[in-house]
Amino acid sequence: MAGLMPEAREQLRAVAALRWHLLVNSLRSIRGRVNLVSRIMAGIFVTGAAVGGAFVVGGAAWQLTRTGKLQWLAVFFWIIFLFWQFFPLLATALTESEDSSSLLRFPLSYRTYFFVRMVFGTLDIATALGFCWVLGLLGGICAGAPRLIPWAVIAVLTFILFNLLVARLTFVWIEHWLSRRRSREIMGLLFFVVMISVQFIGPALGRYSKVPAVKRFQYASKLNPVQRVLPPGLADVMLTTAASGNLAGTCGSLALLAAYSGAALWLLHLRLRRQYRGENPQGNAGKAKAAVDGVLRRGWKVPLVSAPVAAVFEKELRYFARSGPMLFTMIMPMVVILLLGSGRKSWFAQQSEFFFPIGAADCLLVMTNIVYNSFGGDGGGIQYFLMSPVSFRRIVFAKNLAQSAVLAVEVLILLLGVTLVYRAPHLAFLVLTFCWYLFAAPLNFSAGNLLSVYAPKRIDYAIFGRQRASQTTILAGLGVQIVVMGIGVVAIFVGHRFHTYWLGALILGVLAIPSIAAYVLLLRRMDRIVMKRREVLAAELCKA
Amino acid sequence: MWPRTCVRFRILVEAAILTENLTRRFGDFIAVQDVNLRVEPGQFYGFLGPNGAGKSTTIKMLTGLTTPTSGRMQILGLDLATSLVEVKRQIGVVPEGMALFGRLTGSEYLNFCGRMYGLDRDTTAQRAAELLEFMELTDHPKTLITDYSHGMQKKLAMAAAVIHGPKVLFLDEPFEGVDAIASGTLKAMLQRMIAHGATIFLTSHVLEIVERLCTHVGIINHGKLVAQGSLDELRSGITHDEIPGERMSLEEYFLKTVGGPRTVSQELSWLG
Repeated sequence: MAGLMPEAREQLRAVAALRWHLLVNSLRSIRGRVNLVSRIMAGIFVTGAAVGGAFVVGGAAWQLTRTGKLQWLAVFFWIIFLFWQFFPLLATALTESEDSSSLLRFPLSYRTYFFVRMVFGTLDIATALGFCWVLGLLGGICAGAPRLIPWAVIAVLTFILFNLLVARLTFVWIEHWLSRRRSREIMGLLFFVVMISVQFIGPALGRYSKVPAVKRFQYASKLNPVQRVLPPGLADVMLTTAASGNLAGTCGSLALLAAYSGAALWLLHLRLRRQYRGENPQGNAGKAKAAVDGVLRRGWKVPLVSAPVAAVFEKELRYFARSGPMLFTMIMPMVVILLLGSGRKSWFAQQSEFFFPIGAADCLLVMTNIVYNSFGGDGGGIQYFLMSPVSFRRIVFAKNLAQSAVLAVEVLILLLGVTLVYRAPHLAFLVLTFCWYLFAAPLNFSAGNLLSVYAPKRIDYAIFGRQRASQTTILAGLGVQIVVMGIGVVAIFVGHRFHTYWLGALILGVLAIPSIAAYVLLLRRMDRIVMKRREVLAAELCKA
Repeated sequence: MWPRTCVRFRILVEAAILTENLTRRFGDFIAVQDVNLRVEPGQFYGFLGPNGAGKSTTIKMLTGLTTPTSGRMQILGLDLATSLVEVKRQIGVVPEGMALFGRLTGSEYLNFCGRMYGLDRDTTAQRAAELLEFMELTDHPKTLITDYSHGMQKKLAMAAAVIHGPKVLFLDEPFEGVDAIASGTLKAMLQRMIAHGATIFLTSHVLEIVERLCTHVGIINHGKLVAQGSLDELRSGITHDEIPGERMSLEEYFLKTVGGPRTVSQELSWLG
């Protein structure tokens, strides 16, 4: 800060104070205090990971340097680089972006703005860990070969600078994309597709593990020339050439690494400069105007129900269809079934007749995300329900109807999938699953309707991750699931014990009667319950 | 047991909006205290007050979003405590948060709203199309409401509030954040409704809007109704301090009633 003008220094102090006040003020609420506790816990974990990781990396670097196997240090440079760059990227995909460009309304010089973005953006877990690990690496190299200290310091510092710049560069671009709702949705979806793909790595590796180690090594060695001209590889090349006395090679690697850093700096400057000059990331300048649609559009006609119920039903399904995360959940049960069946030798893989009931149970479990907080996605729209002349009994019924429709489609997809991939479930299993649904769905709807009113939490159906329901909902939901799943398992066990699953179906069918009755009774009381809770509902769901 | 007498009952049923000792407390804080409002059918009533005066709480009570701690309310002769659903059928509301469903398009939202008020699909679709046309929202048929500008959202909220042809319309700060063009559209629609006999109850802290649109005004401050009447009545009640006989602007009257600001010369002497 010494080189900055007094005004800039004051501005930086103000930004630091702002962040401090934000933290202190967040402690006023219980949620803020709980967050602080979890941050402290995370801090302890991060410190452990940083120190422990630094020792591990340092020890390995010391051993490799001492034994002259410097080329293997590239592995550590790559691991650190990938963690440093990808960890924040994944974390960003999980959260709403913070509009840091809000500082621009103040008379900050571009230099100060750039500095603020670099410094305050750098205070994150990935940078802290990456920094500590690289220092561990440096310590190990210096201890293993003291003559390499000057070059090791230069290589590591340049590597750190490159990582800092690329991390900032990636973040400002991600921030730019995430400021648009649609790109945020796409990124979230991509993130979850990647997460699902990761689940299949284990089975895939198991399947291809028969490839001999020598052949696998040959594959990897083909990548070596490529990695040597990329920044993490260059940092290692600097050290190996320095160790062999090849000064030209060392300087060349340093120059190339510096060039990479320069390019990152230039690209970062371009983006921040645009932001500084007033580019509005949420502007609609590039958005093409949609054509005028003169066609008169009517709402859906839903047989056997009144117009308001049909309207809410349609609204719910439209919301569902436009929610990437919700649509994504539709395929989850099938993914679970595929995973269960992927390990060919596992016990589960031999029990394919159970796949349909297991998948069906998973369908219901997935649906509880919506059922247990069914007004959460409505946000400010809850006021409309409260102001409309339609009873909440009908509104809630319409919502449950829509949820049932989605559930039915999901189970149908599952049934088709299980039939195609494995075999068609036995009729007794089909009926047993159906009876379990008759029992479990109304019970879940009853609990869900109550929790939706008593513990509402605003959520955005368009965003993935970190949108948990309230703690009360999670606990109560867990309790209900344990009960319904447990009873289902008992019914299957009884059927298995007496060699007829029809008996299990009968038990569940009988249990469905009180479950449906309880649902109807609760539905009748919904208006009274909502009237008592309307202010809390509106206050919680209309939060900005 | 309200109303108690036949005479009183007759008076009550004639009013479009009527409150008696309407009070709302939040713990120790009294947001609205003993407010007695009377709005006749066909009136364009402006409910004025500084920020935090109790305007939004009053409108929330009148539209069934909040329960009063004590007092009574009638809309078109219907008691809110006993006939809430019937009252809701007769009124339209644009609340503070606009009550929109962000992940629907404008057309879908209006179709939804119409059917929530029991209109059939054809009528709803017809009215939705007309309203979208009137509000100049037809250029964005596939845009989700969440991607609308603030002004567009306000216009849509207004369209949703009137799709069922309400007799009484409640508007909470309808022109806040709305540009001049959108504001003109909204005003035109409101004037049209008044011409057709509807009653409009509008809260605002923008005095010029109330002065230009409303025929009657109520002023609330610290939860208490400090003045109520027609614009002319309110003006004629106070004489100008400096020019005797001169009519006061509503702003002058408003500032006089709720307490004017401190003079600049007294403070902030460093301001250029």
